[in-house]
Amino acid sequence: MKTVTANRLTDGRVIYRTATGEWTTELAEAARLDTDQADAVLELASGESHIAVGAYLIELARDLPGGQKWRREGIRLTGPTTGSTHAHATA
Amino acid sequence: MLTLDRTPDTHPVADAQLAAGGGLIIELPGDADWREARAEIAGAVRVDIRFAKFNDGRGFTLAAQLRERAGYTGKLRAVGDLIPDQAQHLIRVGFDDVDPDRKGLDADWARARTRFTHAYQPGRGNVTPLFHHRHNRPVDDLAAINARYRDMSPQDILRDAIEREWVGKLAILSSFGAEAAVGLHMMAQIDPATPVIFLDTGRLFAQTEQYQRQLTEQLGLTQIRVLTPDSDDVADEDGDNRLWSRDPDACCALRKVRPLDAVIGEYDALITGRKRFHGGGRMRLPVVERINGRVRVNPLANWDATAIEDYFRRFDLPRHPLSDMGYASIGCWTCTSPVEADGDIRSGRWRGQSKTECGIHTAAPIAAEQVAAE
Amino acid sequence: MYKYDSYDHAMVADRIAEFRDQVTRRLDGRLTEDQFKPLRLMNGVYLQLHAYMLRVAIPYGTLNSTQMRTLARIARDYDKGYGHFTTRQNLQYNWPALVDIPDILDRLAAVEMHAIQTSGNCIRNVTADPFAGAAADELEDGRPWAEIIRQWSSFHPEFTFLPRKFKIAVNGATADRAGIRVHDIGLQIVRNEAGQTGFEVWVGGGQGRTPRLGHLIKPFLAPEDLLSYLTACLRVYNQHGRRDNLYKARIKILVEALGPEEYGRQVDDEWRVIRAGELKLPDAEIARIRRFFDLPKQVEPTPIPVTENRAFARWLDRNRRDHAVDGLSSLVISLKPIGGTPGDITDRQMTAVADLAERYGFDEIRATPDQNLILPHVRNGDLEAVWSGLVDAGLATANAGLATDIVACPGLDYCNLANARSIPIAQAISTLLEAEGLSEKAGDVTIKIDGCINACGHHHVAHIGVLGVDKRGEEFYQVTLGGAFGTDAAIGSIIGKGLAGEDVPAAIARLLHTYLEIRADEERFIDTLRRVGSDAFKEAIYADA
Repeated sequence: MKTVTANRLTDGRVIYRTATGEWTTELAEAARLDTDQADAVLELASGESHIAVGAYLIELARDLPGGQKWRREGIRLTGPTTGSTHAHATA
Repeated sequence: MLTLDRTPDTHPVADAQLAAGGGLIIELPGDADWREARAEIAGAVRVDIRFAKFNDGRGFTLAAQLRERAGYTGKLRAVGDLIPDQAQHLIRVGFDDVDPDRKGLDADWARARTRFTHAYQPGRGNVTPLFHHRHNRPVDDLAAINARYRDMSPQDILRDAIEREWVGKLAILSSFGAEAAVGLHMMAQIDPATPVIFLDTGRLFAQTEQYQRQLTEQLGLTQIRVLTPDSDDVADEDGDNRLWSRDPDACCALRKVRPLDAVIGEYDALITGRKRFHGGGRMRLPVVERINGRVRVNPLANWDATAIEDYFRRFDLPRHPLSDMGYASIGCWTCTSPVEADGDIRSGRWRGQSKTECGIHTAAPIAAEQVAAE
Repeated sequence: MYKYDSYDHAMVADRIAEFRDQVTRRLDGRLTEDQFKPLRLMNGVYLQLHAYMLRVAIPYGTLNSTQMRTLARIARDYDKGYGHFTTRQNLQYNWPALVDIPDILDRLAAVEMHAIQTSGNCIRNVTADPFAGAAADELEDGRPWAEIIRQWSSFHPEFTFLPRKFKIAVNGATADRAGIRVHDIGLQIVRNEAGQTGFEVWVGGGQGRTPRLGHLIKPFLAPEDLLSYLTACLRVYNQHGRRDNLYKARIKILVEALGPEEYGRQVDDEWRVIRAGELKLPDAEIARIRRFFDLPKQVEPTPIPVTENRAFARWLDRNRRDHAVDGLSSLVISLKPIGGTPGDITDRQMTAVADLAERYGFDEIRATPDQNLILPHVRNGDLEAVWSGLVDAGLATANAGLATDIVACPGLDYCNLANARSIPIAQAISTLLEAEGLSEKAGDVTIKIDGCINACGHHHVAHIGVLGVDKRGEEFYQVTLGGAFGTDAAIGSIIGKGLAGEDVPAAIARLLHTYLEIRADEERFIDTLRRVGSDAFKEAIYADA
């Protein structure tokens, strides 16, 4: 399965495209696309650059980012893996 | 096509040829070599440089080189994939106008081309790098100040000059003549400690000296700087006290120009009371100008005789004792006479001679710079 | 330090107004993303994995306490309470919203800071020796020249759309701490036989995909000719640098293709024509700018304190540097806590540094190419008070120059270009080396980590470099040995196949153990490596494989 992701124009946050053509910050709400639908949806999404910057397709495996870019997309989904600088500084 | 109207160059011949449908137009790609292009553009009335992509900056260097190295002085147009945010870059490397692929953004182009008022680098359109501005205000800077002063009252101009543009580095030059009270009164409302330079030629009317003391006291002026001619020079050049009749220019040089020259370097700008309605060479007087490298500010340039008269009445200012006797412009007694009924205001100065100015506001022939008119 | 005059203030204000307008036009569609991208980059705005990133310029690494407090407030109000110092003496915020950035820029402008040209294919923030104006080995403070270059390069009409980014470094000391030979142009201040100071001009150095050391093309450039010569250098590059291939667009590729002599000849041909023009620097302007960079006045020649406190003594030993003025010291504030994120600093820590700088440090702070901070001027009598303040702020790690003083790029945790993570590797190396006591034993050694070949983390010029690569979705790390930044600059060599991330810390620990076994007396790591070659170290790295 695939889905379309991008960054929100106004604040840069990670967003995904829903089946109804909305944008969401929740991967769970993202459209699940077959390979044959994916390109057409991406084209629609790319036309919405007033909302979403740099739309592209990612692979999903068991509802989580999959394929070769699983780590990158996992970090986009859940944030940096570096721990909190705040927590460290006050430790 | 949008004009990049900060560029002062005009091309009347090229424009006429182009308007008549004639004239050679050459288009160069941004990556053309200026050496190879030089022969090609020799007879062109307009050269277009094409930007294939707005972020391919080769066309900027090519334009600079056509101007600086190939000596091309004709019209230069930027065409292609350009965005409004590049307006100032285009102006400063030497383009006259731009024909961008994307139309309909004229308002954005207009805004972008006036976005920055200064530049850190030299460039076309009289752009002088800031590091020169900081130490020597160039002519184009005066153009900007003139533009700013254009619709300001004399009082506002004086306030701006004293409190903002030339803080602590300017003086007012006064003859304590017939109209002097107006500028001095305005100045005193802003800062009565502004230095007032008074050229005592040794040939002044006794009434002028009396009027000087009266105005100084009444307006509360605290810094009158009286300049007198060098006594050795007077002995050498005017031993018989007749220089004024033999060679009035030499007399003015001895008694006014040289004493002022000796101190003028202490000030960045001098305020004068000159006005356009005085006529002659003063008819094109700008509010701010540069003479021999020094700035003159003429806040009253636009005022006419009625405005002056109204100001005297409104503030009940004392008159020069000679005004009522028909002297409209007052200099040395040797060279000043009353104005006849239909004469213009300075016609009583050096009567019967072609001389109209004493020389303190006249550019030296060699050092003369282009005066930045409005 | 430099103070803006009304012109500088007006320029920055005009620029913010322009950017605010550009953001509006992007939001309403008058600018496409393709058009907006280079414009936002030239204002320091990137789009990273999770958010926009704003890179604030700290010109030649110098800032005062007011500026630092403003950086802290911005971190608090617009970010997640921290910032990140980079290898180019800049500060990055990782989480600002695009629509807030014009307001952030307004706040910066109020304290004479900006984000102008911290990215994009233009002339970037000028690098300088972080100890400039304080170092005992200095011929001349390079920062006045860096400021002159900053102004000349800002909004340059001809050089704003270059083939690729362009970085200039100025170094005025005998030791090179600015990286003269790994910049597009490096300017080394020298004195000629007549006793005049001028510049050696090095061109074509750089890191990234094709690391190269710069070539000397001008052994002595008179100061007043600096801007005309730089203009000529950039002009040849702008016109002839490659634009067909992003990876071959830097000036180093052009210089290599033409040969340094031919490049220098073309530059001279341009320079000849413009040298006597308006770019000749007036003495008055050079003098005006120099006056902003005076040394602190004479102080009491108090000696370095002798202390029974071992932690303070250890910190003095590692983090204090000699100063040109008797009675003063320079202090390195390590932003490399054991196991922490290199270069990160919280808003409260920024405020603490500002307070210490204001009270004890002549109101001056520096950012270094090693992602640390420096208080360049501290009275020897105040050293303990400063240390104690740093302890309270969690900033007294005594590891400046040690193996745990690791440089790392943001890597795949933040960066859109990265192939692999850098920070977690740095954290794991730091934790292990400290646990084994290796950091202190191994002495001066540089470890630098990159998450991609663009090499923002400078791994090419580390004694021990680590480069992350992606192989079909897995992170691997190549180790390079023998690189050096600054004096004796060198590009490290890859020693073999990549290691899995979890194997990297132990491999580096083995490498340092090997060094401790084979070193002669107090020989530094890099000297041992140069003496014996890399074989023994290579064996240690792969011993577990």
